[in-house]
Amino acid sequence: MSRKQLPPRWADRFLEWYCRPELLEEIQGDAYELFKRTYAKSPLRAKWLFVWNVLRFFRLRNIRKKSHLQTSFLVYIAMIQNIILVTLRNFMRNPLHSFINLMGLSVGLTCVLFIILWSSYEFSYDRSHTAAVRIFKVLSHVESDGTFQTYDVASVALDVSTVPEVSKIVSVASGSRWPFELCFRPDEKLNECVYLNGVYASEDLFSVFSFPIVAGDPQPLKHNGSIAISEKMSQMLFGDKSPLGKTIKIDDTREVVIATVFQNIPDNSSIQFDFALPYAILKKQWGINDDQFSKQFFNIYLLTHQVIPTAQLTDRINREPVLTEAIKQDHISYEAYPFADWHLKSKFENGKNTGGQIEYVYLFLLLGALVVLMAVINFVNLSMARATLRAKEIGIRKVTGAGRGAISMQFLGEAFATVLVSFIISLFLVQMLSPLFNTLLGKPIVYNIWSGNLPLYLFVLLSIVVVLAGAYPAWVMSSFEPTRILKNQLNTGGSRPGALRKTLLVIQLTVSVVIVVFSGVLYQQLHFIQNKNIGFDRDHVLRIEPTYRLLLKFDVFKQELLKSPFISMTGTAGANPLNSGGGNTGVTWPGKLPDNNLSFKTIPCSYEFPGTIGLQILQGRDFKQENSDSLRTEVLLTESAVAAMGLSQPIGEEIQIGQSPCVIIGIVNNFHTSSLHETMLPVILYRIPHKQSSAIYVNYENGKTAEALEYVKQVYRQFEPSFTMRYWFQNETYQDMYKTEVIASRLILVFTCIALIIAFIGIFGLVMFNLTRKIKEIGIRIVFGATSLEVYLLLFNQFFGLLIMSLLIAIPVAWLTANTWLQGFAYRIEMPWWIFVSSGVCLAALILSIIWMQAFVTLRTNPSTSLTRD
Amino acid sequence: MKGVHLGELEELVLLTIGILYPEAYGVAVMDEIKNLGRDLNISAVHSVLTRLEEKGYLKSHMGDPSPERGGRRKRLFILTADGKRALQAAFEMRTQLYNRIPGIALQLMHPLALIRT
Repeated sequence: MSRKQLPPRWADRFLEWYCRPELLEEIQGDAYELFKRTYAKSPLRAKWLFVWNVLRFFRLRNIRKKSHLQTSFLVYIAMIQNIILVTLRNFMRNPLHSFINLMGLSVGLTCVLFIILWSSYEFSYDRSHTAAVRIFKVLSHVESDGTFQTYDVASVALDVSTVPEVSKIVSVASGSRWPFELCFRPDEKLNECVYLNGVYASEDLFSVFSFPIVAGDPQPLKHNGSIAISEKMSQMLFGDKSPLGKTIKIDDTREVVIATVFQNIPDNSSIQFDFALPYAILKKQWGINDDQFSKQFFNIYLLTHQVIPTAQLTDRINREPVLTEAIKQDHISYEAYPFADWHLKSKFENGKNTGGQIEYVYLFLLLGALVVLMAVINFVNLSMARATLRAKEIGIRKVTGAGRGAISMQFLGEAFATVLVSFIISLFLVQMLSPLFNTLLGKPIVYNIWSGNLPLYLFVLLSIVVVLAGAYPAWVMSSFEPTRILKNQLNTGGSRPGALRKTLLVIQLTVSVVIVVFSGVLYQQLHFIQNKNIGFDRDHVLRIEPTYRLLLKFDVFKQELLKSPFISMTGTAGANPLNSGGGNTGVTWPGKLPDNNLSFKTIPCSYEFPGTIGLQILQGRDFKQENSDSLRTEVLLTESAVAAMGLSQPIGEEIQIGQSPCVIIGIVNNFHTSSLHETMLPVILYRIPHKQSSAIYVNYENGKTAEALEYVKQVYRQFEPSFTMRYWFQNETYQDMYKTEVIASRLILVFTCIALIIAFIGIFGLVMFNLTRKIKEIGIRIVFGATSLEVYLLLFNQFFGLLIMSLLIAIPVAWLTANTWLQGFAYRIEMPWWIFVSSGVCLAALILSIIWMQAFVTLRTNPSTSLTRD
Repeated sequence: MKGVHLGELEELVLLTIGILYPEAYGVAVMDEIKNLGRDLNISAVHSVLTRLEEKGYLKSHMGDPSPERGGRRKRLFILTADGKRALQAAFEMRTQLYNRIPGIALQLMHPLALIRT
């Protein structure tokens, strides 16, 4: 029969593969016969027919059973029992090894569990509202010079009554200071003060968002004299009594009636408030009329009837009559943005969304995956290292009739048991460590593993880990040939699996080096920030939030304060020099070019202020108590401001801030007015009276913080007996500016530890593997007079290449990541090369010490013991 | 009574095997049934054959190898006593039922024919 007259080979093979052997001859015969018969008429048709028949024969009845042996259910039970027994015995036989293996996996899994919990928490933001998918936030893109700035506010006058898709609109005004943070007095202790933060909102706040109402009017903001308060606030002010219908005072003057109590706003909501007031109150607080009010920009949220495409809604609100002429003239265009996405994707560059918090979520998910991968690699390496020890067991099993499948099942089962145990351990660890983790993140995440889709994710994770950890050992070990094992001719997988083990170790070492180096650089930069001289005193300055009454009496207050030996100076200012907000382009000076729109920081302050924060007068004079010029405001410029204006004789020169004329009386040193991420801007300090300030600054003696604070509190109590003093240390405010970096550094530290632990386990496993394989070689070498040092070097030799290779990969990667991160700072450290060197050296030392630890025992035993074994 | 009952295709296959005696095997059975104007796949014939053998209506043995089958043997089927009895029973049941049809019903082509005339 010629080659051509045969049916398609693949189909034939497929048939042979699946068909039950006892049926094969008959089925194949029939198929061949039909093929041959049709072939005479049409070869192509014959081939198709053959394939078709093969496919039609593929039915349950004809398919080969897994094993040709008839195994009963009882045998399976016995087998599973045996596997469990052997797993336990193996665990007991080498408890250290098993413990390390288990711990490595548990640490990795704990880490991943935390990451999964945290990311699902991040994803849960703002999604608890019933209509979450139908709520849109209105963003404003402001065009200037061809670029766009994006703000998350829109005009409070936005009128969407002409847009049929929108069912409701709500605007919310929020902030961190007065009039959003207010002092409330508890029911029975009227001279105490509880500060709470709230919002002012339009009527539909509680119908657009699902903030559950516990008691009272479901629409409290419809009435101008009502307030809605949270359960927490109710508890603080009224204890367990019902607050409904009671009257409380705002700013000790305006009375409002408590109409509603709502449930505390969950932490995973991007709108946070403890009370909600109608706009009528805000207008009174600010003392503005309806017309002025309508020019305000607040957070605006739209609720649509149906789920509609964002682009459609954006288009609707960018057309007349929604987009009014006035808004257009301000170069503003609106965008409707899905509210639930806002928390994670709130970064905009030039009018386009560029991610945001989501980047961190992805980064940590990636890190989590890496950690699990490393832990799994260890597991595989350690299992493989012991394969040699267990080869005999496998040999015996095979001889007594276990097939490849059974052996694979055994190893997968063992992997499953180990992974399950470590999973349970890590669940415990998560429960135990969650308070610690919360402090680390600065967020109160509730860890409930059984909520939502989490169990599903965890199950998937578990299965993936089991397969990854168990499949390779199972595959390799089940392929051992019993005769060779039992004759001691085992070559554990030849050279290729060894290469795999080494590759895995190189990956681990690389990841550890990158993480270690990066965290080193991060800590250096943070250290740099902590100790950076920012141009003024931030360590010994206390900031107090005054009442207006206190500011009016500031001179007396100051006299009282200065009576203390610990307090050297005090002054007031309208902006904190640490974070004084945006720049001011409305400054004009002699010789300013018309197209120059240089930005200055302008800080309004009292005459004592430059001295209080320790600025140095380099030229001219400081402010004096008496204003020498009654028409012009006195100003101090920083050196960089003078340079930016290009003034050669700055003192006495007249400049303008906005429309007000100012006179330069002196020059002070340059100082930072925002975080070190941004370059230093030129600064203008201009003089204002005390009563126009927003904060009092007190400079106290080094090391006398507690005494000074106590004294200030005491004086404050004399002046304002019914208010609790609100104060901050400037240094803490400074630290807060780097909160993200500090949290990141803590997390990176955790990851560094975990990476090191896992790398340690990895090296440990490979050393053990080498040692078991080379035990006889070492014995022989010792017999021939090798010293211990030579043996150590022999063992280290293998790692040397791997270490060099991982350093070669890790150093450029680490340099790139660290450099990218450092680029985010305008003021940064030089790349600290010693960190690269030292982490390499440390890793080498770590490897050597592990080798020493393990080889120590081997070297101490008499070589005859190892040589006569087997 | 399940197991004793014969399906329509089962009955056809049983009959064919009787006809083809002693050379009844998969392809031959399929050809015979195809000649009756029924299209069916060889795999269907096989599954009916195995089912009938399990029911005990057929028994089989391997025949001689033949070149057109690539040197593979045929599985030859013959009716068992049970198989013959089942055929008999099926045949009798049909005849019995057929005989009970009143003569007039067979003469008339269609119930509507009555109304027209």
